[in-house]
Amino acid sequence: MAEQEKRTEEKVYRQLRTNSLLQQIMFRYMLEGHAASENGRLAWITSGFPVEIPVAMGVGVNYPEQYGAVIGSQKVGPQICGFAEEMGYSQELCSYARSSIGAARYPEKSPLEGLPKPQALLACNNICGTVLRWYDAISEMTGAPVFLFDTPPTQGKQTPHHREYVRQSVMRLIDFLSTTFHTTFSEERLREVGNLSGKGIDLWTRCLKACRNRPSPLNCADRFLAMAPIVSLRGTELAVEFYQALLEEVEGRVAQGLGAIRDEKIRLLWDDIPPWFTIFRFFNGLAARGVVFPADTYTHAWSGSLSGADLVDSVVSVYSNVYLNKGLEAKVDKMCELIKEYSLDGFIMFSVRSCKRYSLGQLVSKELVMERTGVPGVVIEGDMVDSRLFNDAQIQTRIDALLEMFI
Amino acid sequence: MSYEQATIQSNSQGFRLGVAEKLTLGYIYPHAPVEIIMAHGFVPSLVRARPGVVGAFEASLQTFACSYTRNLFSQRANDQLPPLAALLFPGNTCDSLLNVGDIWRVRFPDDTVFRLTYPAANQGEAGVHFLAEEIRSLSNMLEKAFGLPFSLSEFEEAASLTRQFRESIQFLYASRAILPQVLPYSKLAALIHTFLMSPDQKSVTEVVRAASQAQRSLAKSKSLEPINRIRQQLLKGHLTRLTFAHDTDSPRIAVAGGMIDPGALVALLSAAGISENALVIDLLTFGFKTAFTRPCDMEGDPFESVARSILSSPLEPTQEGLEMRLSFVRDILTNLAIDGLVICEQSFCDPDEFEAPSLEAAASKSGVVVLRLPIDPELSDRERLGVRLQSFLETIKSRNQR
Repeated sequence: MAEQEKRTEEKVYRQLRTNSLLQQIMFRYMLEGHAASENGRLAWITSGFPVEIPVAMGVGVNYPEQYGAVIGSQKVGPQICGFAEEMGYSQELCSYARSSIGAARYPEKSPLEGLPKPQALLACNNICGTVLRWYDAISEMTGAPVFLFDTPPTQGKQTPHHREYVRQSVMRLIDFLSTTFHTTFSEERLREVGNLSGKGIDLWTRCLKACRNRPSPLNCADRFLAMAPIVSLRGTELAVEFYQALLEEVEGRVAQGLGAIRDEKIRLLWDDIPPWFTIFRFFNGLAARGVVFPADTYTHAWSGSLSGADLVDSVVSVYSNVYLNKGLEAKVDKMCELIKEYSLDGFIMFSVRSCKRYSLGQLVSKELVMERTGVPGVVIEGDMVDSRLFNDAQIQTRIDALLEMFI
Repeated sequence: MSYEQATIQSNSQGFRLGVAEKLTLGYIYPHAPVEIIMAHGFVPSLVRARPGVVGAFEASLQTFACSYTRNLFSQRANDQLPPLAALLFPGNTCDSLLNVGDIWRVRFPDDTVFRLTYPAANQGEAGVHFLAEEIRSLSNMLEKAFGLPFSLSEFEEAASLTRQFRESIQFLYASRAILPQVLPYSKLAALIHTFLMSPDQKSVTEVVRAASQAQRSLAKSKSLEPINRIRQQLLKGHLTRLTFAHDTDSPRIAVAGGMIDPGALVALLSAAGISENALVIDLLTFGFKTAFTRPCDMEGDPFESVARSILSSPLEPTQEGLEMRLSFVRDILTNLAIDGLVICEQSFCDPDEFEAPSLEAAASKSGVVVLRLPIDPELSDRERLGVRLQSFLETIKSRNQR
């Protein structure tokens, strides 16, 4: 026992106690997905979709992007992506999409035996344009119809005609769900779900903001794992329950002056999706060198709550204005804001070959952020699921060059 | 005329117009509101990828940006673009083009860059209204930036020109679908290219003349009736069974690929020594989509009319409705007696690469053999692509002889 405690004490990072609660919640989420599928009430859904509406209408949801993260973290990305490539999908395409298509083709060879079969596919293009084509491919395999919630990218302030168009998308979505799942829409129920969603987001945001403290109570890998309920269980009691527990632990760490890593020396910003297949090795390797990531652009993306008298208008506003739907200038602004608010020394931009919407522009934004904030940054290239596209040695060399600037 | 020759000729024309007569507004996505742009006194000119451009994108774009955007960016960085008063990027079509528009603004701050955002969902009138307002906003920006107001008479003139162009080019497409020897494919490609680079009376007259000549040569045959029927059906996006006489000894191939320029196909065929008569229709490419867009209505609000016209064009892989697209492809393959489908995929082009397996499956189910060609704007692998095309045609020939 003493030996075990010693080993834990020696680790460069501190594990969150709430990780066990997270595992229980996500297991329950998985079982609920299977039950919904068996009852003919499951939709696959993209991470930026206004999930409050299907949840309020009694439709179960599963997130293929999150499943992609599972495939990545189980280090079977190349194999599962390979199934899609055998079907004719290019290796140049998004690895979330490839792994999802591959797992739908061979669920028996995939982690957790694949996602349960969907009865509808709900795509919102506020995170990228790929989701529509990815879901089209899944639709051909499963027969589930695709619904596109179209939120054209914005430039500056959202215009009245943009609002009106997206509002029509909400109406079309309600019709689609009513017809496909023989259900009805109730504004009262949407308000209940919206309130729960708002509570979850508020608690999550407080956890994130706690990382302004020095030492930071959470590191990148902590947040990337802990974000699972805010993505997949938004609008449920389960998510609120989890984030209450997480916030309690995080605030406890702050009060005791405990950091996510033992010896915090350098505070960096992370940009983009993480390499799921090496998430612990990568971030803990840096933790051993005193590098912590108190903020990242990815987990900060879930921040808008539904509120106000006109809930549909609130859906329009929140889901049109997500981070990835706002262009290069907004990304640069966000990075500069995080660097300032979290007192960061520099930044690492992970150029994810799969994700053009997130990654194209990083070479330019790196320069702009450095110019505006005065802190150094580096761009490393790889992928989030497909480890064949990740050159560890090359990446370490680039990171070493960045870290040398802080010595 | 080769692809390179067509490009040089058209560019020199664009240069002349840009400098001496009118300002040129370059656009990248083929469904630009050309009538509105012309109504402001600009020459709308499609900016295309060009072979032989030295890469100059590395400091700004990663290698996984699509090869088309890399080529355009390099042209600009190398000062190889024709003189443009402004450049119009599309929004909500693909992620590469969206982001490259933003990057362009930062890297070339003196360039005037606009964005026109398109609806991606099939939302009927809501989509028309959205696009109409986007176009109206573009019109206001053009006036503000250049002091050139919208002119209704110039709009009407432009609408008349595009109508003439489309009617004639549609006839030529439909004619070639039955009798490809009626017009060399390279000639069709050059006519489209010239119009897209510089839509004026001269370029339209050339197209009208070519259509009249084709009509005269077909007058004695019994082909005019089925040709007109095919034209109408292609416009509606739905073909029914047709019977028409065609040369069964010669293979009939169709080409698909959202971002493929007809001129690039000419270059490939020519390099491979393949008869242009084998290429019956360049389905879903720049040329086809430009041709089979319905003319805009002269009555009512010009912005709404142009939006309605643009949204009537054949569906893009960037839009909702894969099943409709596949159904259209199956119709064409079956009813136009197509032996083989060549699917061109531009490297790192999400829409092309995602759709290719679905197109391949649809063609195979229709009994049509398929060749998938990975292609980049530089045609850097031209020899190998040519050999693959030759083998493909030989396969079809031997299959037809059985």
